[in-house]
Amino acid sequence: MKKSTPYVLLGPALLFTAFVLVYPLFQNLINSFKDVSLVRSGGGWVGLRNYAHVFDDSLFWLSFRNTAVYAVAGTLLALLIGLGFALLLNLKIGRISHVAAALYTIPWVISPVVAGFAWKWLLNDNFGIVNHWLSSAGIARGGFAWLGDPRTALFCVIVARVWQFYPFAMVMFLAGLQAIPLEQYEAAAVDGATPLRRFFHITLPNLRSISSVLLLLGVIWSFNDFNMVFVMTRGGPINSSMVLPVLVREFSFVHFDLGKGSALSIVVFTLLLFLSLLYLRVAPRKDAT
Amino acid sequence: MKKAVLVFLLIVLAVLVLLPFLWTFSTSLKPLTEVNRHPPEWISPNMSLKPYGDMFFYLPFSTYALNSLIVASSATILTLLVGSLAAFAFARFRFAGKRLFLLLFLLSQMLPGASVIIPLFQLMRESGLYDTHVGLILVHTAVLLPFVIWLLYGFFLGIPGEVEDAALIDGCSRLSALRRVILPLALPGIGATALFAFLGSWSEFFFALILTSSDATRTIPVGIGLFVGEYVDVWNQMSAAAVLFSLPPLALFMLMRRTFVQGLAAGALQ
Repeated sequence: MKKSTPYVLLGPALLFTAFVLVYPLFQNLINSFKDVSLVRSGGGWVGLRNYAHVFDDSLFWLSFRNTAVYAVAGTLLALLIGLGFALLLNLKIGRISHVAAALYTIPWVISPVVAGFAWKWLLNDNFGIVNHWLSSAGIARGGFAWLGDPRTALFCVIVARVWQFYPFAMVMFLAGLQAIPLEQYEAAAVDGATPLRRFFHITLPNLRSISSVLLLLGVIWSFNDFNMVFVMTRGGPINSSMVLPVLVREFSFVHFDLGKGSALSIVVFTLLLFLSLLYLRVAPRKDAT
Repeated sequence: MKKAVLVFLLIVLAVLVLLPFLWTFSTSLKPLTEVNRHPPEWISPNMSLKPYGDMFFYLPFSTYALNSLIVASSATILTLLVGSLAAFAFARFRFAGKRLFLLLFLLSQMLPGASVIIPLFQLMRESGLYDTHVGLILVHTAVLLPFVIWLLYGFFLGIPGEVEDAALIDGCSRLSALRRVILPLALPGIGATALFAFLGSWSEFFFALILTSSDATRTIPVGIGLFVGEYVDVWNQMSAAAVLFSLPPLALFMLMRRTFVQGLAAGALQ
């Protein structure tokens, strides 16, 4: 066997990765120091001006805050709900538990675009079912524009995101619960520990490593998520639900300022790289040879 | 008694969780006059499959569906070809830089699409691949590769090396050993990987949105995502499109739930 064989086999995959990952990333870095626009010629070096424009823009700071809230609050809520569902399913009350587990996983299976669409229609001000229920229950007048009001838009997108992400947490927690050795519970029962004490002293500690993996993965994925916000609100109204991936598109393809868009995307990349390296530290290794 | 309460709770939660779908499904069967009615009704005597037919006339969904099929199946085939070679190298060879390459593929899966989209857009425009099937197929292939390599790598590791050694002794070359011995044994794994790759491309929205600009190349998610704000008056047809678009992933999930969950857990399809 020739020494070069594995490299030849890897060649095509590396070529693709270079084309969609390595080259664009470097080009992006170069763009971010240049005056590049979609609608007029330019292309001179401008040093850190694009970055200064990004950091001077209050919209950047608003989007940064929104993205952080979306990623952290959304992930934490999804983890809590996922844990609750996993505990319920782990009671194993027969076949119905399996059917329920399958049904509870569905929001995660379908395309995020469909999820965003379904929630947008559910929350429709005039004909949506949510407003209908709220008004018939006498809680609120009908016709409230959930996605058209700056006070509620981001909250609604987070709800939709939680709905899409909790099944992932549920599935992982369920696997984690089933891996806890029964002896630990038996020993605790012999010692006379109450169910509540067993939950806090056996169940939760055993789920700690799964939780940290889930938390980081959830934050990374949500930080990257363009789909839910774009489909439901496009970042509006008046940018109240704007997040960074949508803002990159806004700067680059709506305002045609590729330089500023590139600078912003390098900022996003740096934040994500930091989170990804953190993830690699806590993630379980598949094969480290 | 306690069991009855739990069963009731499980059912109530299932209805709550599926509410957005049930509402979309109900809407997809209603005539427009009843979609725009206040107060809304879940079930009406006038329900029919008519919106499922109408949507193909009102919006260019037959073109979108064809585009989605072309892009997703081509990207699947290409990813599997390229990915199985790389996975084979990782599973069967020791070489300098192996860990580095594995790490590179793992990290590239976390890369934000937003951080590469502008140069990709420029590259596509300069090479004439912007707004073409080929351009989108190449990008989807690259995006799916890390996940596919990771899955296939696992499957290949599961096949004992002795099988392959026997083939080598019988005079096969390394590559023909891959083609004649390893690939057939790994076929179930490859089949599952192919389905994930297909669904990944089928659902992909971000790149498909930005790298296309005409109805002749737009895929279904782009159609739904773009029109959801514009054609507000045809919620029933949009719902029908959303339901039809969700059928392949749902069918797959129902048929092979265990593999599906493991596969989704193994990597990021989102």
